[in-house]
Amino acid sequence: MVVVPEFLIKRIYQKGSLKKLDNGASFNLKNVLGPGFISGFNYVKINDVTYEPKDVKFIMNGQEYTSGDVSEDHPIAFRLGQAGTIVVEGQQSVTEGVNKIVIEALNPEAGVVKLSVEDNV
Amino acid sequence: MDISFDKYSLMVDGKRVFIKSGAFHYFRTPGVKMARDRFQKMKAGGYNTVDIYFNWNYHSAKPGEYDFTGIKDVRKVLEEAKKAGLFVIARPGPFINAEVNAGGLPFWLLKMEDVIPRNRVGTEYKYSPKYMEYVAEWYDQIIPIIKEFDNVILFQIENEYATDSMDEGYMNELYRMARERGITCPIFHNDAYFAGLWADCVDIYALDLYPYINPNQNWKQDNFCFDTLDNVEDIFRSAKEGSPPFIAEMQAGWFDKWDGSGYGHIREALGDEHINIMTKTALSQGVTLFNHYMAAGGTNWGDLACDEVYTSYEFTAPIDEFGVIQSNFYKAKEINYFLDSFDLTCTEPKDFDFCQENIYAKMRHDNTNDCDWLFIRNMGINQKINEAEGGITLPNGKTVVLKSCDMKICPVNLKLYGCDIEFSDVEIFTRLKNENEEAVFFISDKNANIYLSDGTVIKGDKMDFENYTFERDGKTTQFIFLTKHMADRSWFLKDRMIFNADYVLPNGAVAVEKNTEIAYFDLKYKFAKKNCIVNAYPNNPPLEQLEISSVKFCSPEIDLDYDYSGWKKIEAGGKTDAFSCDIYDEFIWYKAKIPDYLTEITLSARHLFAVYVNGKEIINRNSYKLEKLQEVPETISVPLNKTILTRETNELTILVQNLGFDKGFSGDTNSPRGLVLFETTPQIPVEFYVCEKLAPEYTTKFESDNPYLSKITVNFDLNMSENVFFAKYISFEDFRCRRATIYLNGVKIGRYIKRRHVQDKFYLINEFLKPHNTLDIIVWEKDRNVKSAWGFKSDLKNVKILLGTFKICQLFK
Repeated sequence: MVVVPEFLIKRIYQKGSLKKLDNGASFNLKNVLGPGFISGFNYVKINDVTYEPKDVKFIMNGQEYTSGDVSEDHPIAFRLGQAGTIVVEGQQSVTEGVNKIVIEALNPEAGVVKLSVEDNV
Repeated sequence: MDISFDKYSLMVDGKRVFIKSGAFHYFRTPGVKMARDRFQKMKAGGYNTVDIYFNWNYHSAKPGEYDFTGIKDVRKVLEEAKKAGLFVIARPGPFINAEVNAGGLPFWLLKMEDVIPRNRVGTEYKYSPKYMEYVAEWYDQIIPIIKEFDNVILFQIENEYATDSMDEGYMNELYRMARERGITCPIFHNDAYFAGLWADCVDIYALDLYPYINPNQNWKQDNFCFDTLDNVEDIFRSAKEGSPPFIAEMQAGWFDKWDGSGYGHIREALGDEHINIMTKTALSQGVTLFNHYMAAGGTNWGDLACDEVYTSYEFTAPIDEFGVIQSNFYKAKEINYFLDSFDLTCTEPKDFDFCQENIYAKMRHDNTNDCDWLFIRNMGINQKINEAEGGITLPNGKTVVLKSCDMKICPVNLKLYGCDIEFSDVEIFTRLKNENEEAVFFISDKNANIYLSDGTVIKGDKMDFENYTFERDGKTTQFIFLTKHMADRSWFLKDRMIFNADYVLPNGAVAVEKNTEIAYFDLKYKFAKKNCIVNAYPNNPPLEQLEISSVKFCSPEIDLDYDYSGWKKIEAGGKTDAFSCDIYDEFIWYKAKIPDYLTEITLSARHLFAVYVNGKEIINRNSYKLEKLQEVPETISVPLNKTILTRETNELTILVQNLGFDKGFSGDTNSPRGLVLFETTPQIPVEFYVCEKLAPEYTTKFESDNPYLSKITVNFDLNMSENVFFAKYISFEDFRCRRATIYLNGVKIGRYIKRRHVQDKFYLINEFLKPHNTLDIIVWEKDRNVKSAWGFKSDLKNVKILLGTFKICQLFK
């Protein structure tokens, strides 16, 4: 696990962006740390529900990236200041009130980057 | 020296100084002579400061013991820096990273149960009083030495540190400890996350910037990698009021790893463009203190390396591992010389209404020279914005032609003695100046022009030394043009220029590798010439095949009935890893007795290992594996049977090669090494005896029965003339063995391990060379295709070991 202080990683998550969808959820990320790449997602967890990489989509600049599109050999650029939306599908997870969200993403330089936040719906 | 600062720059004795620093590792470039060589080259290249990490682990092998003698004498290193005319940025950690073993923390410290290295577990802050006691001990050793040198202008505490809670206790204590021990210069920390971390705990806020850290990345294509650098002034201004912009580590290369893409690839990928863009963009952001990491590469000799890196720490630095100047040095030199000629320590951003895709343009007003500087960069891929396309048209109506990934610093309204430059995209190389006269050297560029304020346009397509003179009010300005090739071979030394030399020394000596006509220029005598005749050295010295003087089997430890009674005993069932055994050498031997009824052994070792039973190898494995920057432990089970366990009580030998401890940036420095796990089926307690080192001198008298480790010995002589710089290497091209450890005159200088990419040239570190040399190469692993020991030995006798020369230069006073 890369030693990036948690409070810094948390800045990527856009507070108040969590939305309940028909069959899942969505929330927004914004890169305020520095230019970098995402080479995949290990999982996204909302409350007790874990979404496997196949159930995770990342939408940026109108383009949709699924687990098949992103890998160590084909990372996607996540520029400083750029925003994107994570959509998770297949199960309901969002409840009213406080929700716990954990994202484990992969970065070619830093390895596993884990983000744990809470957001209200 | 009185060191102060304001929001613009550092001041030495009240005078603003632009800090142009480069990193140098004395432990990777051992000895005073090598330090002197690198420092003199740095000074010749326009650096005025050297950044030095002090490696705690290198000086302290045991608790309470510190060695600052011989090649570990840092006083002498600091003396050489001072003699070369360099300021020093002192970085004694305690943790330094630098891809050194355990990040520079002593091994003995890591094993102590009540010590929490760096007061951090994972990302969680945990204060450890015992750790701080040992840090105080280190500071008590190193700070008095640093304090002796008044050219130390900055002092760093910790390195790229962060925790989840960002508790300031540790950093505040380090600051206090440094001050209590007499450090008077400004103290800083290098924030790896450019997030203003620890700004309140130090005097000057500084950060690290490495836009290119993945060699698979094409930075020219992914040009947004400079996003942070392009906005770094805002980061500095919001991090700490009154602190000058300081990039404590500014990328000037990158390190290669096991299974990496090779230094050749990284050097080619970065080219000269990267250091040019990094440095000029930093200037465009008001940076007045930068430190090129690294300025000079080094070698992971001995046990210096962390597990991630191999022998070479070439780092694609401007001065490479061998002390040879590379093309990115010339680019750094151009910028350093420019900064020597025009003081940019006090500038302000200035509005510049310009926007074009892939073009970065930033204007700064220079309060000292009362002019503006336009910093302009073209990041269009394969996009040369040429004259036919109209170039880049600026708001002032001038056009700039820039190659893809090129960046220029253009003077705007620059007042000179004899003329005023309205605008120029012919870049200034350097300037000589006295009270009435100045010579401004430009680097010729056929697509660029100098626009004078009187309407004169001078095209940049000039030959070497073409010149123009302008006079005004009894003062003169001379423009002198140099082609890029000549600029690379031109050197600015105090009040004169020296042309056509490979490099120069601060005392005026010139280094050349072939017969050369050296030219000099100063304002008083103008041009002069001198011939330097070098008859002795061919341009490309041929590789010399070294004659093998002997091949011996050299692992008696594996032989049956070897006497290991003097080895350290580990109680049955006790832990066998390096920390538990208190053995930190790269190689650890384990011996034990095992009964004949065992059916299996299961073991996990870091990183390479082989198991021998009754003198016969049963497994030989490289367990080193990194995935997503994390070490992947491997556990192996080896079945045993009666053909292996041939005796009632059998002799077990395990040899483990530890490639180094984690450097501690993203992993734990105290991850175990050596034999980490050993179990038997059925489970029985096994009593091990352990011993460290492969020592080439072990077997000068006796040869072992087994062929698993073999020592190839080669002797060679060298002409060690004074006033000659040379860099020698041995080459293992066509080397058919998979692993070898190389000793030069008894000093371990390299490890050859065949993986996806392999280092096959090893620097014969000058410090360890003598007129008569012995090279011992210990090969571990008998080629499986060779059936007999005799045949194997015969093959080794025919191995090609080539002696080569990277560079040879003669120095003329």
